[in-house]
Amino acid sequence: MCLNHNENTQNPSHFEESEEANVSPAHREIAWNEYKDLIKGMQFFDPHIHMVSRTTDDYEAMRQAGIIALIEPAFWVGQPRTGLSSFKDYYSSLVGWERFRSSQFGIKHYCTMGLNSREANNEPLAEQVMEILPLYIYKEGVVGVGEIGFDDQTPAEEKYYRLQLELAKEAKLPVQIHTPHRDKKKGTIRSMEIALEHGIDPSWVIIDHNNEETVKSVLDNGFWAAFTIYPFTKMGNERMVKVVEQYGPERIMVNSAADWGISDPLAIPKTAALMKMRGIPDETIRLVTYQNAIDAFGKSGQIDVTDFEAGHAVDQSAKFHGNSILRGGQQPASAKDSLVIR
Amino acid sequence: MINFGNPVSVSYVMSDFIKQKLWEIIILNTSAQEAEWLRQKSTSSPMELMTGFVAVPRSVSKKIISIPAQVQAELNAELKGFSVENWSLARLSRVWLLTQIDASDKEAYVKNIETLFDTAEMNELVALYSALPLLSFPEQWLFRATDAVRSNMGFVFDAIALRNPYPEKYFSELAWNQLVLKTIFNDKPVHLIEGLENRANEKLAATLSDFAHERWAAGRSVGPQVWRLVGKYINETLLSDMEHLFQSNDPADRKAAALACAESDFPAAKDLLARNHELENAVKSGSLNWAELEY
Repeated sequence: MCLNHNENTQNPSHFEESEEANVSPAHREIAWNEYKDLIKGMQFFDPHIHMVSRTTDDYEAMRQAGIIALIEPAFWVGQPRTGLSSFKDYYSSLVGWERFRSSQFGIKHYCTMGLNSREANNEPLAEQVMEILPLYIYKEGVVGVGEIGFDDQTPAEEKYYRLQLELAKEAKLPVQIHTPHRDKKKGTIRSMEIALEHGIDPSWVIIDHNNEETVKSVLDNGFWAAFTIYPFTKMGNERMVKVVEQYGPERIMVNSAADWGISDPLAIPKTAALMKMRGIPDETIRLVTYQNAIDAFGKSGQIDVTDFEAGHAVDQSAKFHGNSILRGGQQPASAKDSLVIR
Repeated sequence: MINFGNPVSVSYVMSDFIKQKLWEIIILNTSAQEAEWLRQKSTSSPMELMTGFVAVPRSVSKKIISIPAQVQAELNAELKGFSVENWSLARLSRVWLLTQIDASDKEAYVKNIETLFDTAEMNELVALYSALPLLSFPEQWLFRATDAVRSNMGFVFDAIALRNPYPEKYFSELAWNQLVLKTIFNDKPVHLIEGLENRANEKLAATLSDFAHERWAAGRSVGPQVWRLVGKYINETLLSDMEHLFQSNDPADRKAAALACAESDFPAAKDLLARNHELENAVKSGSLNWAELEY
């Protein structure tokens, strides 16, 4: 993605529209050295991050900061897909190559599978995707149907949202719901109403990308409320701290939703550090940055904490389909502080 | 379909006997709940059966199955070389589910199997390739099968190459030789390839000789099992390979040369063997055989 520094605009994320992107950052920058001691020994679970768009540097930094497991929701990859095969290969990569790549950095990788709301508007293609989607949602390590819901709030979006809610019900899987950026409050309420209309237990539904305006009704209705800490959007981590102070840790979780836009894969450890600085109890921090995500998505029966809690050995020379993440002659771990890159 | 010039071309529909045997093994290894889940999936719509195939590990354990020797023998009598030994229950369940897909409409059947291949992750691919000898319209899967030989996923390669009777029956000579060479090249146990002796051929023997020369030139060794594929085809070139082996410091090389020469009608090979009395006697008495060189 090209970033033109002469224009004072930032790249929108996949859940954000460009007009609203040009706001002053609400995300507080903290250097690793300033906060690493605050979160020492803490373990984090990022329930929403798009690793296909991230680098190995991110994986290394995430592991170093204590992220030991993550969920990668199926989403819009920026470039619109033109055929079923692109969807198939993308879905396969979520349970295949990306999962392997993550394991090479000691991070357990889960995913949610779904047809995202933007591409639901391409109806002929959406029909084909729906035909094969059942073959993906039952795969091992798929912890939910997601991220689905509304973007423009079109009839096509509603149609595929409903169909996928039925799919989740049938498969006994949690649902990860993307809420729209435009007309967010109404879109969030509508998403919840439709889920309830389909007879889905709200404790199986994670409503994502909340803010102060939406959180109360989400919690009051018994849903999980996820918050995305994403620079230049309205949800920064200082305000996250206030939300936790006000609502406590119950059914609240934090994620980064880091993707191909300007985003921060360390949003969770940084927010945890900030909470610690503001005197939020350790147990509360643990719930919103780790345990609640496991409890919510663990309903899928696909999360076994023994796979990551004790830490698992990393063998970067291991292979997937005969391929390693290493290129000819590379050493498994690079020295990040070194000026010279070998 | 790609034409491999395959001599075997029979329309083959799998016997109910094997389906039934597989089910017997499943019953021996599952809880009542697991078996009921599988039975229910097997009688549902094609799409539900296919998602059942994917969902197997969600409902069925991945433990390694145990199988009475007699049942394995019965399977083998019905379909030579077919084995489910050391399979996980999930793999066996998936293969059994595949045998339950309705094959009455060929076009729909092929489309369903192709879709499963297209969307499969690794363990599903292993099950699909393991099931090839059991699927209907076997020639239809030739391209997939040769593609699995090209796979660099070890488990997938093993599923088609080792203990699988499909390649022996349907692979062209070219595809067969590629399978054997890749098994040798990857240092996998060639004796686990079904039909190894039956499908031995002169071209393969010549290629193996070239392969050995390359390895020797690079100062590397060649697994002694390789030579079990050349006996019948020993000519002047291979004879010099045998001489080379008889001079090796590795006793396994000398044994392999003796066994290969004993299988040859080439007079010079007989003479060469006769000059190595002890080994000649060991071969003749049966105390030395290829099994000794298997690993």
